[in-house]
Amino acid sequence: MKSSISHIKDSLRDKKISVEELYDEFLIKAKSSKTNSFNLLLDKENNILSIKESQKRYENGNPLPLDGIPLGIKDLFCTKGIRTTASSKILSNFTPNYESFVTQKLLDDGSIFIGKNNCDEFAMGSSNETSFFGPVKNPWKNKNAPTEDLVPGGSSGGSAAAVAEGTCVASMGTDTGGSIRQPASLCGIVGLKPTFGSCSRWGIVAFASSLDQAGPLTNSVEDAALILNSINKHDFNDTTSSNHVREDYSNGINDKLDQKIKIGIPSDYLKDVSGDILSQIENTKKALIKHNVEFVDVEFKTTEYALSTYYILAPAEASSNLARYDGIRYGVREDGKSLDDIYLNSRTKGFGDEVTRRILIGAYVLSAGYYDAYYRQAQKVRRLIKDDFQRIFKDVDFILTPTTPNEAFKIGDKLDPISMYKNDIYTVPTSLAGLPGISIPSGLSTNGLPLGIQFIGNYFEEKKLLQIAALAEKELNFNER
Amino acid sequence: MSNIDIKRISYLAKLKLPHEKEEFYANSLKDIIKWVDNLKKIDTSETEPLHNVTEKTVSIRKDEINKSNSVDDVLSNAPERAQNFFKVPKVVE
Repeated sequence: MKSSISHIKDSLRDKKISVEELYDEFLIKAKSSKTNSFNLLLDKENNILSIKESQKRYENGNPLPLDGIPLGIKDLFCTKGIRTTASSKILSNFTPNYESFVTQKLLDDGSIFIGKNNCDEFAMGSSNETSFFGPVKNPWKNKNAPTEDLVPGGSSGGSAAAVAEGTCVASMGTDTGGSIRQPASLCGIVGLKPTFGSCSRWGIVAFASSLDQAGPLTNSVEDAALILNSINKHDFNDTTSSNHVREDYSNGINDKLDQKIKIGIPSDYLKDVSGDILSQIENTKKALIKHNVEFVDVEFKTTEYALSTYYILAPAEASSNLARYDGIRYGVREDGKSLDDIYLNSRTKGFGDEVTRRILIGAYVLSAGYYDAYYRQAQKVRRLIKDDFQRIFKDVDFILTPTTPNEAFKIGDKLDPISMYKNDIYTVPTSLAGLPGISIPSGLSTNGLPLGIQFIGNYFEEKKLLQIAALAEKELNFNER
Repeated sequence: MSNIDIKRISYLAKLKLPHEKEEFYANSLKDIIKWVDNLKKIDTSETEPLHNVTEKTVSIRKDEINKSNSVDDVLSNAPERAQNFFKVPKVVE
């Protein structure tokens, strides 16, 4: 089993390893990796000051919560003085002059960034194949076709692959429609998307601002809780940042459930799923039922509309957000005779196919004559989807679903965009409602590939959500197999 | 669904699609728009649009000066600059 953050901290405290040796160990492994999960790795020289300060804190007996822990950061977070590309050609030369809120909090708590993780271009994709820097390979192999390279999922595919192969202890990702949970599931690790408004979006390259949310990809639920403790804070720079009171998410995470828990399983999610996927849900039920957990069938009325709603709203917001890339203030400029030519050439040559497609969808649904029929209608249906969840949460504490409808697939296999979009069928509704969701690995498919389950909680109930996920993790025992 | 005028849409998006790719994007857009068309059958006459899921009020900070984002910081990533300005081809004749 891979080391947890608390285990690594114990080793650093007990002087079994130094912060520098720890960094070297991960960096050497990351440099020799063939998964393409990093767009950029930071040599020890870049981090030597932080490494020394961290070591000093261990020696003085007052280490910070994440002191010395080597983290990967999805290349969508602005990192001061460190190239930040969103895996796009148009930002391939961009070095931010400021640090994103979330990564600043991770630095404040002593963690050390080992590099920037590859992802889908502007986080638009479910397989990490749209990256300008090439696809990421899943470290897992199909045991019946061991020579095939599989996708890690996306868009936080580099983050998931890196954590799964052990080239960083954990990684910061972002989730718009499933971009943390889906790759976590396909790579056999834990991925948490907090409630919208929990973690500031300030300094994250924007995709769809009403949906984007930062969250950790980790080896264990406890690690996710420790990272959430660092990043879940109010921020004035993000107008959607919530100012509710935050809890200590790791404290008491393994405590026995003191009350009866009721979990809803949406029967409409399980229509037509494979036996492999169904058995993940059955096994979880069996594992939790002895812990004072009751399972009930629930049924959504809006599931069939969720993907349509998402693929109107997310591209609409993306087409507005990506209007800023014009080759004038930052990013790659392509020459042109006039100002307009610079705009056109920079944008056309700077964006890849999927990003272009989504900008076009967004421009279409926002254009005169179509705005009410598509964009406004989708915003109304979004409220119906939210209300649908609230109706179900009147009766249950959590909702349990598969994270993905399938295991990791072959690189290059899904060429049609709609079949790719359907990968997020179980994660998109949660995103539209803004609810917190966590994917944990639950078992292996008949091909020996990891599969995940998703627990969905009510708004800002991450503490309870992490507790139930930790219990399921312990009972399902994925990492010990 | 009406036909998609890919030239108009790409103009709105400030993109100059290469001629040979126009059909590829037009077909792709047509498929996706057809796929999302199922929303039209839902009655939303009584429903308000949802903009912000948590619907919490915006918090207001004190109006204090901070010293981030200096002119040099902001211009450091400019493809072309002249003194304290972004440089572009002549716009006004």
